Amino acid sequence: MSQIIKQEKKRSFVTAPTAALLSLLLPGLGQILARRVQRGLLMFGALVSIVGLLVWRITLLGRLAEGFWPTLFKSLDRAPMFVAFGLLAIAGLWLWIVIDAAKQTNPNRQFGNSIFVLILVVFFTIGWQISEIDLVKLSSDANEAWVPLSKILWPWEAAVTHDTDTVEAGAKVLVDSEGQAPPVPEKTEGEPYLRVSPRKGELSKLDEDNQVIPGTKITVYGENFEPNTRTQIWWSDSIGNEFRPRYQGEYVSVMTDSEGSFEKELIMPYRLIPPSAKGQQIHKVMARQVSQVGPPLPSQPLILTIELIIETIFMGMMATIFGIIFSVPISFLAARNLMSTSWLTLTIYYLTRTVLNIVRAIEPLIWALIAVVWVGLGPFAGIVALTIHSIAALGKLYSEAIEGINPGPIEAIQATGANKLQTIMYAVVPQMIPPFVSFTIYRWDINVRMSTVIGMVGGGGIGFLLVQYIRLLEYKSAGIAVWFIALTVAILDYVSAEIRQKFV
Amino acid sequence: MLEIKNLTKIYPDGTLALDDVSFTVEDGEFLVVIGLSGSGKSTLLRCINRLIDPTKGQIIMDGQDITAAEPSELRRIRRKIGMIFQHFNLVDRSSVMTNVLSGKLGYINPWASLLHKYPPGAKKEAMAALEKVGITDQATKRADELSGGQRQRVGIARALMQNPSMMLADEPVASLDPVLAHTILGYLEQLNSESHISVICSLHYLDLVQRYATKVIGLRDGQVVYRGDREDIRKMTDGQFKEIYGEEAVRVNAGEFDQGEK
Ligand SMILES: Nc1ncnc2c1ncn2[C@@H]1O[C@H](COP(=O)(O)OP(=O)(O)OP(=O)(O)O)[C@@H](O)[C@H]1O
Ligand SMILES: [Mg+2]
Repeated sequence: MSQIIKQEKKRSFVTAPTAALLSLLLPGLGQILARRVQRGLLMFGALVSIVGLLVWRITLLGRLAEGFWPTLFKSLDRAPMFVAFGLLAIAGLWLWIVIDAAKQTNPNRQFGNSIFVLILVVFFTIGWQISEIDLVKLSSDANEAWVPLSKILWPWEAAVTHDTDTVEAGAKVLVDSEGQAPPVPEKTEGEPYLRVSPRKGELSKLDEDNQVIPGTKITVYGENFEPNTRTQIWWSDSIGNEFRPRYQGEYVSVMTDSEGSFEKELIMPYRLIPPSAKGQQIHKVMARQVSQVGPPLPSQPLILTIELIIETIFMGMMATIFGIIFSVPISFLAARNLMSTSWLTLTIYYLTRTVLNIVRAIEPLIWALIAVVWVGLGPFAGIVALTIHSIAALGKLYSEAIEGINPGPIEAIQATGANKLQTIMYAVVPQMIPPFVSFTIYRWDINVRMSTVIGMVGGGGIGFLLVQYIRLLEYKSAGIAVWFIALTVAILDYVSAEIRQKFV
Repeated sequence: MLEIKNLTKIYPDGTLALDDVSFTVEDGEFLVVIGLSGSGKSTLLRCINRLIDPTKGQIIMDGQDITAAEPSELRRIRRKIGMIFQHFNLVDRSSVMTNVLSGKLGYINPWASLLHKYPPGAKKEAMAALEKVGITDQATKRADELSGGQRQRVGIARALMQNPSMMLADEPVASLDPVLAHTILGYLEQLNSESHISVICSLHYLDLVQRYATKVIGLRDGQVVYRGDREDIRKMTDGQFKEIYGEEAVRVNAGEFDQGEK
């Protein structure tokens, strides 16, 4: 307390006007000579970085302009608010620093901190510009995000498929050529039946302006189909390529009546006939009823998701187990209370700690990138990455648990005449179990979470699948993966909380 | 008989905690060590069973030099010396039974004990020890579920499992309320008079010292500054007590527990 009071009474080396002048020449110098060294350095640092950042952004904005003024004007043109505010803020800040320098020479003055609020505001503004924040985009493009998002939120139609059954009949037509029309197809008892009239005609064509010249209108008659069912009309050209003709953009289809019959008018569709095609062109009109049969079956995305979520959970588990195996011995080396007996052990302690901290500071995703180079794509790379990170994280946590051990029971057990092993078993292990279980479960939780994303960089698990689906714009399949990830993490959360509660 | 000869302890940081301490404890004696906080009481007690290795001097128990004992020999000596602590030093997460049984560790096959296998009679013996301190009904509880007084009784039961010929007690009642203090010291007195176990105990309260001690030594800055027998203690005045404890000391009645030292 007395020290602080003494500091407050420190006399300034310079008078107020001198301090102001000095800070005008070199911002912060006045404060430093008024014996507010930290404050001076802070202000100098803040102003220099603000000027530096602004110069950088202005240079970027005024790219391709030659010279100082053209660059400045171009940047002002492109981001007038930002550049103007930045320049004004620097001027204002500089002035404020000058005034502050004068004030700081008064030894009884309280530290005014509102200047740091201004500095923060300036940094915030620059940060806004650097990170290209665009609120207009955020709202104007929101509806574009809604389509994939809604598919991801409710993807379950993609989770099931059905086997399908097809009922089909066709009738031949002669197109664009002279000759005998193909015969009317023969009826077979109990089979669907189709005929067209007329059985010859012209296909639709395109003129020079790509305008459609409609072809011959034909009528399709169907019998013996499934009653009251939507029926697709298909077209097959002379070499057997099938396609669905459209009318006004929609696929042509028809409902059968209660007898299973229908009648549908159809303009012969456009089909490019290569000039090399010789002889009679026989095409085929087909009517097709596709119906789902049998029970709903899991779809391919659902099966893949389940397979990979299992892989993911096991990746997390394996990484945790390997993490435990390696981190337990390491944690002894990183426990200060065990390693402070001599300078050699203390050196090992500091070395271990440092390595653990460095390894832990590197994110598992980055370890995964390295591991993919090391052992190739796939779950093993993910396990290697997670194991490395787990060893470091668990090693640190375990060693802290060892450091937190109460020496009392150890002393008491030793006093009974127990040997070293017995002492560890009876006095150390019981104390270690709760933190050990708690940290391990916690780590398992993290590892499973991490393995859901580690696939994104090729480390195996569900993340890989998720990225594939998103890239292929299959949002429903992606949605299934997202749901399974969320479910797994939620269940894991609950289970790990339960286990931890039991042991602590 | 326990003989302490010229015992000196200097901690690695240079603290002189015991300075040429010598005294003897006859069999069946109740020796109380008094002294201000930091005077070296705990250090002295821990040197006797070598939880702390003394720097110089000898500790001779029944003719055997403890300070020169090899590790295996030391363990055999330790199991004859029970010890109880101010903070009880029970293994909190283990059951009362396990805590008491751990008093037997010095006697049984180390490998069997790792699997928590005890010889047939051990459980019965543990129950008998718990009965002696009156808490058989707590045997299956976890140690951290007990009250302070009950825990110290578990501590005594654990020490009894060792079948000790001597008990070390480092401020055994300093974290208990006054009524319990008498209960706990009563057990020690009973062991002392009925089973002829010598007791070396550090205490802070003159009333307790006068009530239980058969012999007292006073420590100050690691040196013995007072020696007295039962008679001397009865006659001890506040003035003498203050001399040992220095000016800060106040006489406190065990009945109206003040913080005293600690
Ligand atoms: N491990 C240690 N390292 C260094 N100095 C120690 C250590 N343990 C104790 N000391 C010092 O040795 C001296 C005696 O300590 P000790 O614990 O024996 O005193 P005490 O009489 O038991 O005190 P209290 O009544 O507070 O328990 C003190 O000055 C203490 O600071
Ligand atoms: Mg002590």
